[in-house]
Amino acid sequence: MKTNQNAFFFILAAVALVFLFLINLGLGSVSIPIDTLLSGLFTGEWEKSSHREIILNYRFPKSLVAVMAGIALSLSGLQMQTFFRNPLAGPYVLGISSGGGFGVAILLLAGSFLGFSGMVISSWATAIAGILGAVSVLALVSLVAWRVRDSMTLLIVGIMFGAAVSAIISVLAFFSEAEALKLYTIWSMGSLGGLGWNQVGLLGLLLGIGAFPLLLATRSFNALLLGETYAESMGINPVRLRWLVIISTGILAGSITAFCGPIAFVGIAVPHLARLVWKSADHRILFPGSALLGAGLLLLCDTIGQLPGSAQTLPINAVTSLVGAPVVIALVLKRNFSKEF
Amino acid sequence: MDQVLTGKNLSLGYEKGQDRKVILSDLNFQLYSGQLTCLLGPNGVGKSTLVKAILGRIRPFEGEIKLLDKSPVDYPREKLSKKLSVVLSEPIIPAQMTVEQLVGLGRTPYLKWSGTLSELDRKYVNEALAATKMDFLRKERLGELSDGQRQKAMIARALAQDGKVVILDEPTSHLDLVNRHEIMFLLQDIAKNQDKAILVVTHDLDIAIETAHQLWLMNCGSPLIAGLPEDLILNAQINELLPKDRFFFDPKRGKVNLRSEDSGLEIQGSEDLVFWLEKALKKRKSTFRTEERIHVLENPFRIQVGDRIYHSIAEFFEESQTSLR
Repeated sequence: MKTNQNAFFFILAAVALVFLFLINLGLGSVSIPIDTLLSGLFTGEWEKSSHREIILNYRFPKSLVAVMAGIALSLSGLQMQTFFRNPLAGPYVLGISSGGGFGVAILLLAGSFLGFSGMVISSWATAIAGILGAVSVLALVSLVAWRVRDSMTLLIVGIMFGAAVSAIISVLAFFSEAEALKLYTIWSMGSLGGLGWNQVGLLGLLLGIGAFPLLLATRSFNALLLGETYAESMGINPVRLRWLVIISTGILAGSITAFCGPIAFVGIAVPHLARLVWKSADHRILFPGSALLGAGLLLLCDTIGQLPGSAQTLPINAVTSLVGAPVVIALVLKRNFSKEF
Repeated sequence: MDQVLTGKNLSLGYEKGQDRKVILSDLNFQLYSGQLTCLLGPNGVGKSTLVKAILGRIRPFEGEIKLLDKSPVDYPREKLSKKLSVVLSEPIIPAQMTVEQLVGLGRTPYLKWSGTLSELDRKYVNEALAATKMDFLRKERLGELSDGQRQKAMIARALAQDGKVVILDEPTSHLDLVNRHEIMFLLQDIAKNQDKAILVVTHDLDIAIETAHQLWLMNCGSPLIAGLPEDLILNAQINELLPKDRFFFDPKRGKVNLRSEDSGLEIQGSEDLVFWLEKALKKRKSTFRTEERIHVLENPFRIQVGDRIYHSIAEFFEESQTSLR
């Protein structure tokens, strides 16, 4: 019965995901009816070439990015929560988003000091700066991780690094010009759109590389639920697992931050939602479950953020928190949840 | 009855750079399969250090530990986990997990990457659940169990790991009296029926004497004493556990007792009654003196001093303070 119930929720989540994807494609400043959309996608023939343009070059990549970002952030959040055995851990606890922000801040804000202000900055440049920033902070944290034995110290160090890097960004922001500051602020609000197919392909590749090791370590994550000592007594190598977690979240959360900006909330909340839905601690269920829910949640938030019928869009970072926070608060209050982590 | 774990002239401690801090030296011990062994000793004597060494987490400075044919530090992690499993005192447990899933985790060293249980793995899980009498709770979530049941589930998990040796570090320290007894008797049964070597670190001398086949006693500055609990009591070596100037082990009662001056009172009556009255006097540090003989009588209980009669020890104390002074 338990297995049937689990399967039922998986199918439900998958169906919901497909619907959300189609709705996300159809709605926007130009509303495209669902039959036009389906016939266009399956036959490749569009009534209006403008529809074809909008869907294939703008909305489809954007929806795909929403799906991938949802998956990547939820998977990083889940592994961080299990690894640190802390319900507040998320993809960014090791300072990845601050690191990404640092890279972008150097590019956008420090331009006036370093003499490349006024240059047109492409999304590739932002992404590369973001990746470099995230990787360098992660490398620093890893240096520490190499020396310390226990995961709590690592958590504290990660948070401290994040705080220090954020402070540097504030200093940069203080001295920078208004125009540059606005660009940086907009980046930090996150955006799923504006990526071309090349970038979407790269993001997909990185997602695959980052998620693959998790598949191989499902057994270890389950053992880790009992704490490091028990896991070790069951033959799990905690040092190897720690590197796996650092590298995997580095790639997953790092690449999303670089291309889309920091997207808050999804990474922390979705694993909890998955635990509530499937009522399980088993990572064989939680990993795919979180991925499905994360993708769905981000699609939903993006659809809401487009303010259907209007030409304006809200920043995705604001929408995820505005939509997600009440949902999670409601669920958490309804069930006595801190005990169930 | 085979020796599965032996220590010879062990010297253990921690190393920090050039500094070596020796905590235990000249340890010798044997752990036998089919036996429940209890390790007793005061806090800070190095029990945890010894357990760490047995788990292969620290390397001995001198001497050797042998688990079956090799030293624990020389086993690859996964091989070691198939010989040795542990239960710790701290219950860090995910509440969402069911008992069955928890016990299933014990099969971790035998599983492939995905962690899916095979038919054989399920068989081991079922046996472990049966051995700990947790069958009827198998679908229950850990958050809904009592502490005692949860600790039994942890023991079942350790059994499912199917090692020759099971080490439990103060498994009963959070539990009430009945659960303590129950768990220790359970471990005794398991040791015998499944031919496991079980080592329990505990502070519970009473229950250890009651249940263990072998005791290991550790105290600062003296070598590890091993032996049958009853032997250790009869040859008074059990007193090694206690600060000798203040406590002693009373072999008649099987209890630790405070050494104290004789009360100087002459008490007569059946042995049991005299024992408890003296105990009460000792606890009070009573300075009450009388030349008269004190009689303790049964049915109903009363204490007679001269022609005065008291119906409880409390009454005796109360009155004796006023009238006899």
